[in-house]
Amino acid sequence: MEDIRMAGDRVNDTLQRYGVDKAGFWVAETQTQEFNVNSGEFSLLRTLFDNSLSLTVYHQNRKGTITTNKLDEASVHKAVEDALASAESGVADEAYDIAPDQGGHCFHDRGYEPDMERLFERTRELMEEIARRYPRILVEELIVSHSKVHSLYRNTNGTECEVFKGHYLVSIGFAGHEGDVTTSLFGADVTTDNLDRPFMELGTIETQLKEAEAQLVTRPLEGKFQGTVVLTPDSLGYFLYSILSNFAGDSGILEKTSLWLDKWNEQVADSRLTISINPSDPRIVDRAHITADGFREEDYDIIRDGVLRSYMLSLYVANKSGLERAKNSSFSVVVREGTTPYEEMVKGIKKGLIVGRFSGGNPGTSGEFSGVAKNSFLIEDGKITDAVSETMISGNLAQMLMNVADISKETVADGGSILPYIAFDKIVISGK
Amino acid sequence: MLENFITGKKTLFADGVHTELRVQENRSRRIMLVQGNLTANSRSEISGVSARVYRNGVYGFSSMAECSSSAAETVLKAAEENALFMDRHIQKGKGAFPAAPTGQIPAGRVIVDTEQKRYLAFCKELDAYIARTYPELSSRAVVLSADSMEKRICTSDGYDGHTVSPRIHIYFVLNTQTSSGEPVELTAPVGGFGNFEDVFSDPALLYPEIDRLYEALMHKREGIHADAGYRTVILGGFLSGMLAHEAVGHTVEADLVQSGSVAGPNLGKRVGSELVNLVDFAHTAFGKPAPLPVYLDDEGTPAEDAVLIRDGILTGYLNSRESAQHFGMKPQGCARAWDFSDEPLIRMRNTTVLPGKDKLEDIIASVEDGYYLTNTNNGQADLTGEFMFGVTMGYEIKKGKLARPILDTTISGVAFDMLKTVDMVSDEVIWTGSGTCGKKQRMSVGMGGPALRCKVMIGGR
Repeated sequence: MEDIRMAGDRVNDTLQRYGVDKAGFWVAETQTQEFNVNSGEFSLLRTLFDNSLSLTVYHQNRKGTITTNKLDEASVHKAVEDALASAESGVADEAYDIAPDQGGHCFHDRGYEPDMERLFERTRELMEEIARRYPRILVEELIVSHSKVHSLYRNTNGTECEVFKGHYLVSIGFAGHEGDVTTSLFGADVTTDNLDRPFMELGTIETQLKEAEAQLVTRPLEGKFQGTVVLTPDSLGYFLYSILSNFAGDSGILEKTSLWLDKWNEQVADSRLTISINPSDPRIVDRAHITADGFREEDYDIIRDGVLRSYMLSLYVANKSGLERAKNSSFSVVVREGTTPYEEMVKGIKKGLIVGRFSGGNPGTSGEFSGVAKNSFLIEDGKITDAVSETMISGNLAQMLMNVADISKETVADGGSILPYIAFDKIVISGK
Repeated sequence: MLENFITGKKTLFADGVHTELRVQENRSRRIMLVQGNLTANSRSEISGVSARVYRNGVYGFSSMAECSSSAAETVLKAAEENALFMDRHIQKGKGAFPAAPTGQIPAGRVIVDTEQKRYLAFCKELDAYIARTYPELSSRAVVLSADSMEKRICTSDGYDGHTVSPRIHIYFVLNTQTSSGEPVELTAPVGGFGNFEDVFSDPALLYPEIDRLYEALMHKREGIHADAGYRTVILGGFLSGMLAHEAVGHTVEADLVQSGSVAGPNLGKRVGSELVNLVDFAHTAFGKPAPLPVYLDDEGTPAEDAVLIRDGILTGYLNSRESAQHFGMKPQGCARAWDFSDEPLIRMRNTTVLPGKDKLEDIIASVEDGYYLTNTNNGQADLTGEFMFGVTMGYEIKKGKLARPILDTTISGVAFDMLKTVDMVSDEVIWTGSGTCGKKQRMSVGMGGPALRCKVMIGGR
């Protein structure tokens, strides 16, 4: 067991000894306990003890980064030497920098200490409930874990941030089975800091169990048409990640390939759409408290009322581009809810598809996407008619945001994001 | 080189259970030059010891970030306690694994730790070549990724061994625009199994690779959107390799078969045309080293080839010792772990469709109206065998001739339906060893295949 503050002092002393004038580092100690269920049966209990040191040094405007899981004296020396050697061989760039002094802070998040007996009971309860209420579901994999992390961030400008955090992760994958018929994989990842509620009630687990059974009888879609696609909170996350990383992330701005390069303060989405990165929302469980560059985390809007208000930039790319850096480096996405109840939203759709999962290629810089609409249901004249298979959807990520048909009143929080259902018009839907 | 402090701990293994003890180090190095800007310059070294114990149908596992004799003893004890906890609560009451052969497998190579400045100097030369030769590109990136894995494994009832698996790749990413200003991107990896000096020597030897990528990008910028629908296509070697891995390989992983994959009810049945043969090679394929050779897995099973489809008939699964016992099959060395803190899972090694007798040019000439798809950037598949691959380069085929290039798209199908439509197979396999498969943990994998004529759904407009 490491004393994290002593390990931090060891890194500070070594940096000083080597005359490093600018650096930032994290040291952390992590304990993880994890139950695994495979093919419907408990299979494994894991206990992991790990450490980490992630160090970035800046030498004559050159930068080098090293990661190791050893915190002893010799390993820390080697890490500093290696980071310096990497930096010395690097490319000088005045844009490399760290945050000015943010002061000292200590955070004790809820859920630091695990209750393993209760965790096991909650896991067993979920398996029993699935067997009782959803007998045609086979759990392919269930991973239930608790991670307890004591971390310390420091940089040479004087910032210190110590965090005691712990959270439970429930990650489940399952499919419907009847005879030789198997559905596509369904699944959900939920992070929580307490065991107060049965796992069945978390995120979209129960909704997806129902939908998996409903997918046991599907029909392939025929033909091709332009219609409305409703993305559920489970599939919306994929699209948001693709959109934001392609158009608002570091690489698109640095390479100048982003379609939003010159769109700051301009309309890039329907005016009902507000997308924020809000790690301080009480429904977000896993928080870093400090950015990768050493700034205190703050919430921010990427798109507010359809207008591009911020990019998701590191300090380096902000310095290179002259744009503002992101106020946190997490992906705790919160999409503002709409006013239409989900059922009403579906009733208003003439012809379309509810897409529960999307299996698609990595959209390129153009934003063109296409892929398989998994776990999907056909909407005809405002009614959900059939579960469909072998159906593809395609469109353009940038145009899609301008073609929002509706946003649901309901949202789903899974500990990492808070998302509604969103209907998008003018998506190409094609079958055999 | 990792010190061997684990073999002597065999005396501490509990009686009547299967035990694995492993010490492991993973190293990774990364350089990323974007428009000449160094956006990543990092090194990572992660090591530790882990133990896994199998008792009556359940496992206990533990790991520590320390490579020492005392850490080995600690994780052994914790893994045994975890197995006991699970056995007490779950009471599966399954027996021990069948007896396995024992022996030693030595490492065939060592990890050579190249200095970061050597990597960087090499990448800078490549970047400078692109910048001066193709200044009209809208952007460029050169990315070096090296990862190595060294393990010492000892088991209560299997082989012991020392394995070393380095690999290194450099990716070129080139961007331009279509005439209407739409961004177009193309990526190509070069590299393979081994240390830096084994794989690369003179940067100039890679210039022709960059030139080919540029030429393909210039074609692509004139590309059109594919016409969405169910079409005749020729999957180039990279895509048939992806098919072998994603659409077939995952469905025949025995843990997924136990979870209801489509391979379960199809064992011994026709799943493809008679032209389809598919093998997961362990370390040697067609008389040469496979892209990522595996000699011993992390359960102590020496690796051997697994024949999965023969003449269109599904013949086998990929197994761990536990699943092999369940299905009455022979374990063939497929249980591998990524990090020291990971437990072994059933993973592919070098999965490929075997070559046929057709010439690629004859296959192209045989297509009246379809597509020839040459590059892919990702793939996914389901328990049902329904797959999706991203396509980053391809061409229309009209009246037996290559026509206009196409822009990024996606193809999909259901593996055991689609394989029955394969009616031509080329005589040349294209391999890649740059793949990293995701299944709870990451894993380096090789994949390959010949060109296949078949029918799939293609996305587009």
